[in-house]
Amino acid sequence: MNSFFKAEKIVKKFGGVRAIKGVNFELKRGEVHALVGENGAGKSTLIKIISGVIQPNSGKLFLDSKEIKLLNPKNAHEMGIATVYQDPLIYKSLSVIENIFLGNEIKTKSGTIDWKKQEVKTKELLVSLGIKPNFINRPISSLSIGLQQLALIAKALNYLAKILIFDEPTAILTEIEAERLFKVIRKLKKQKVSILYISHRLEEIFEIADRVTVFKDGKNEGTFNVKDINRDKIVELMAGKALTENIERTMKINRAKNKLPIIEVKNISSCYYKNISFSLYPGEILGFSGLIGSGRTEVMQTLFGLIKQDEGEIFFNGNKFKVNDPSIAMEHGIVYLPADRSSEGLFSKLSVKFNISIPLLKKLKKKFLQVDREAEENLALKYIKLLKIKAPSTSTILSNLSGGNQQKVLFAKWLSTKPKVLILDKPTKGVDVEVKVEIHREIVKLAEEGVTIILVSSELPEIIKLSDRIIVMHEGTITGRFDTKETINSKNLLSAATGTRMIHAKIN
Amino acid sequence: MKKTMLAELFKRREFTVTGIIIILAILFGSLSSNFLSISNITNIFIQISSIGIAAIGMTMIIVTGGIDVSAGSILGIVAVITAKAALTGLPTPLILILGITTGALLGSINGSLVSFMGIPPIIATLGTMSFFRAMVFQLLGGRWISSFPDSFRRISTGNFLNIPLPICFMFFLAIIFTYYLEYRPTGRYIYAIGNSVEAARVSGIPTKRVLLLVYIFAGMMFGISGVIVAARTGIVQTNTGAGFELAVIAATVLGGTNILGGEGSAIGSILGALLLAIITNGMILVNLPALTEGLIIGIIIIISVFTDIMKLRRRRYQYE
Repeated sequence: MNSFFKAEKIVKKFGGVRAIKGVNFELKRGEVHALVGENGAGKSTLIKIISGVIQPNSGKLFLDSKEIKLLNPKNAHEMGIATVYQDPLIYKSLSVIENIFLGNEIKTKSGTIDWKKQEVKTKELLVSLGIKPNFINRPISSLSIGLQQLALIAKALNYLAKILIFDEPTAILTEIEAERLFKVIRKLKKQKVSILYISHRLEEIFEIADRVTVFKDGKNEGTFNVKDINRDKIVELMAGKALTENIERTMKINRAKNKLPIIEVKNISSCYYKNISFSLYPGEILGFSGLIGSGRTEVMQTLFGLIKQDEGEIFFNGNKFKVNDPSIAMEHGIVYLPADRSSEGLFSKLSVKFNISIPLLKKLKKKFLQVDREAEENLALKYIKLLKIKAPSTSTILSNLSGGNQQKVLFAKWLSTKPKVLILDKPTKGVDVEVKVEIHREIVKLAEEGVTIILVSSELPEIIKLSDRIIVMHEGTITGRFDTKETINSKNLLSAATGTRMIHAKIN
Repeated sequence: MKKTMLAELFKRREFTVTGIIIILAILFGSLSSNFLSISNITNIFIQISSIGIAAIGMTMIIVTGGIDVSAGSILGIVAVITAKAALTGLPTPLILILGITTGALLGSINGSLVSFMGIPPIIATLGTMSFFRAMVFQLLGGRWISSFPDSFRRISTGNFLNIPLPICFMFFLAIIFTYYLEYRPTGRYIYAIGNSVEAARVSGIPTKRVLLLVYIFAGMMFGISGVIVAARTGIVQTNTGAGFELAVIAATVLGGTNILGGEGSAIGSILGALLLAIITNGMILVNLPALTEGLIIGIIIIISVFTDIMKLRRRRYQYE
């Protein structure tokens, strides 16, 4: 296989800081090439350069041995380079067909849009990806994230893409959706499309990629055939040191018979879920697994008072618990770390200190009912140190931190309230391997200190590693409960998550 | 540490606006000997007091991500009601309280529409703007009110420590609300809501109550402005306060409040009002045609907001 696309000595500076320091990179025709590295290693900068979003300060790009200049994304499209971003860039209220052809419409002789041809072409594109085209007239926002992404891949193919770049495509997908995406990628590979694949999930690379390039601190640390490298070696290259990811909980919970549940949910129903019952015992980590849209998040939001249930009851320490506002949940020591940190979790334009102290402000009051600034500063410093948050100062504006550090601030915000029950909704979404390990350690530490934790996660390895018990949901109902080492495995969880069979282990 | 604090100060909008004010003051001062006279400066401050006070309220609303275009109509209603009360011979302090209460009541209508009924602020207040203005017509019955007792006019002409009362009111309220926004938990919640209502709710902040409170506070500020305007102009007509909201919003935005919410300060908005007043006043004194005034104010507003956007863009690129 010969080199199809080449980048030579690329340098890109942002305000004097070199994000990419003279990188060489090549892509062969029809290969799946994985690009890995920690947050801030320069992966995103490189793909932005390749897709024409930003221009390098120096260096050359070659396509088919000819030098090319990419001044804007349109240039890149014309050269056959398309990018599928992490969060699908879509026109929500338009149909799938309109999304695929927007700006690139098929026209009739008189210059109006040729809907028939567009529909036929859309069907062709989706069929070529192995997808049933029965949703193409629906508004794209009514599809699952996974299907939205596939629609965007179809859009890219419509540009006759020869190079397709995926920026963490599976970060927002469930295991099932990811599997479907991999099938599509294999199909594309057969059609001789070159694929540049960015991911934080190293397992995926071994499943899908031919070669892997590791980035660290804006430099290319090397390109390897996936066959010739293993996971530990990649992690070592990324982090510069070996990272062990094994956490063994020293103290598995002992749910003695005389221990009463801290929270008991009895037959709650709403338009998001039906007939949900479970108990949460003090000091345990209860995992909630399932596909995105299975109703897990909504059950958690009900416990925190963001959504009201239509039927059923919730008990807290044996007493009936009416939670119609988050402030009531917080008074009982229940806090919720939302999955969407940018819109629900944090205030990105405000300081680190502001973000950490906000739930505690009323308690930091002193003379004249004003906020005690010194106590606030100390609180922020304490958690910056405890969670190793990389921030220049407590006054740094949150959006200037990396994703992983923002996630740690979100943790700090809730830990500062000293919660009794901590509900974590996808706590490691979009963070790099190193931060992920740190967050996992923190979760285990908290559980050992006696905090009761509910962990919602779409990543099976994460939920299997950390949970004492696991509840699986599918389309709004509980389809599986697992509480022994023997039953907690990916196979069982996956089959429950897809609703193929009901599994009730011996609890309840 | 000290250096970064100084650098932060330079970056703040209040600093830039103060700088422009000083430059303009020197410019107009050198062109007209009257400009820097005590009486003219006092005059400028009295002129801005009503806009400045209203801008404090508007700042809080815009910081939450909202807007209130009914401010001028609220001012109108309060001016009519307090003017009528003044004619009945009600003692001045009670008139002031009546004005503030009326403003709070009207503000609570806006606040309820926005927070509990979830109507977008621009639509809700566009509706009440028209509704409140109709009430002004109704209350006045097509006539105007004038010849108030001197005791009422003293709200505008009176002095405290040799400083005209409207100016005292403005500075007093600026101090109170700066303290409120910077040091009280609820003040912080206002910024939190402006950054992300969802995140604020998840943080346990009673967002609806805080929003209602903000519109009530703003209504009170518009009410105080209404009393001052009635007392200063000595006449209340059906169009009293019409277009006032635009001047207030202009001052607020010029003073560094982000129209998209989340950022802004009471002091900044008062400085914004001062800057606008200096341009108006200075141009009259140096005999520039009145047309150029609107032209220059328009250009300044657009340039100042544009520089903000540029700054934001640069910031974003740096960290990408």
